[in-house]
Amino acid sequence: MRGITPRREQGMADPVLASMVRARGLENARHYLAATPKIQAYRDSWVKLAPFRDGPINPTRIAISDPAAMTKRIKEKAMELGADMIGVCRLQPHMIDLGAEVPHEFVIVACVAEDYEKVVQGANAVEEEAMRVYAKCTEIATNLAAYVRELGYPAVAHHNGASEVQAIPIFYQVGFGELGRHGSLINEKYGASFRPGFVTTDLLLVEDQPREFGVQEFCMNCNVCQLNCPGDAIPQDHVMTHGIKRWLIDLEKCYPYSRLRDEYCHLCVDVCPYNVKSHPETYKAFMKERKQVGYKTPKSW
Amino acid sequence: MEKLYVNEIRSNGEASTIGLFYSRSEAETIVAQLLRVEEKSDCRYEIVEATRHVLSVKDSQRSQTAEKQ
Repeated sequence: MRGITPRREQGMADPVLASMVRARGLENARHYLAATPKIQAYRDSWVKLAPFRDGPINPTRIAISDPAAMTKRIKEKAMELGADMIGVCRLQPHMIDLGAEVPHEFVIVACVAEDYEKVVQGANAVEEEAMRVYAKCTEIATNLAAYVRELGYPAVAHHNGASEVQAIPIFYQVGFGELGRHGSLINEKYGASFRPGFVTTDLLLVEDQPREFGVQEFCMNCNVCQLNCPGDAIPQDHVMTHGIKRWLIDLEKCYPYSRLRDEYCHLCVDVCPYNVKSHPETYKAFMKERKQVGYKTPKSW
Repeated sequence: MEKLYVNEIRSNGEASTIGLFYSRSEAETIVAQLLRVEEKSDCRYEIVEATRHVLSVKDSQRSQTAEKQ
């Protein structure tokens, strides 16, 4: 199956970032690539695992008489590997990068929640946590793909080190949540504080279904991420993509805070009121600090 | 920087925004790639200025304040 969704390139391959770096003469400056040894080790870990995303398939294929039981088995395996949320859906062209070929029927997504408590420790702690979780997701996806291949079915892992799939449409389709104003998918339990790894496969599975719980309507009225964004990068108006509201982040305004300095920026996600459910005390403490320095907090406070 | 939306218009009239791009050449490259996709052979694409949509509330409040002053 050939993909139809453009992917924004990362790093200096992104023409917007490249032109901003050149315009400011920052080619040799410390910016988003700066990393603590711990962060660098996490980044190295997914690069090291990239060659193992695919591998030999067990020639003795097990027969599947009950796809629901197989789906349950796969989900249990992913949980055992350390995932907090697992979803399955049929792969569709809009879930694949434009021009990329993925020859599989299904995609399994395994997510790991970030420790939201890190928000009160500052940007570097938040970044370290994000990278830790990405590394964990890479490990889960790599091992889960190997597990499926051992059952006799093709399976390829997709993660930060190497991927041809798009996270948001897959998250939506498996019922993890809805797209929020800040451009990330919002889950009812974890807000947007989670990271994914994926496995594409031909193993016959039972699909999960999209689930809506009012995020898009909520985001129409809640401007907390928009009003807390230091770069004013989150727009008031939305566009529509196949019936889904999307607030397209203005990268020219986002990058000076998220890429052109050596400290992480994750504020749009950290201030989202959907975090209050899983971490009520930390969220309130964090937002109280922000209120004291003049930022917007949820209306009811 | 220039800001441009690429919109996709299907044969039934349904329109969707593909994304926000920051130069005409970047937007045109995406359109050229999309035009090569068989499933999208009945779609047409338009590249439109996005300036109005990316102004935030704060931007517009600031400009109103500046006008009053």
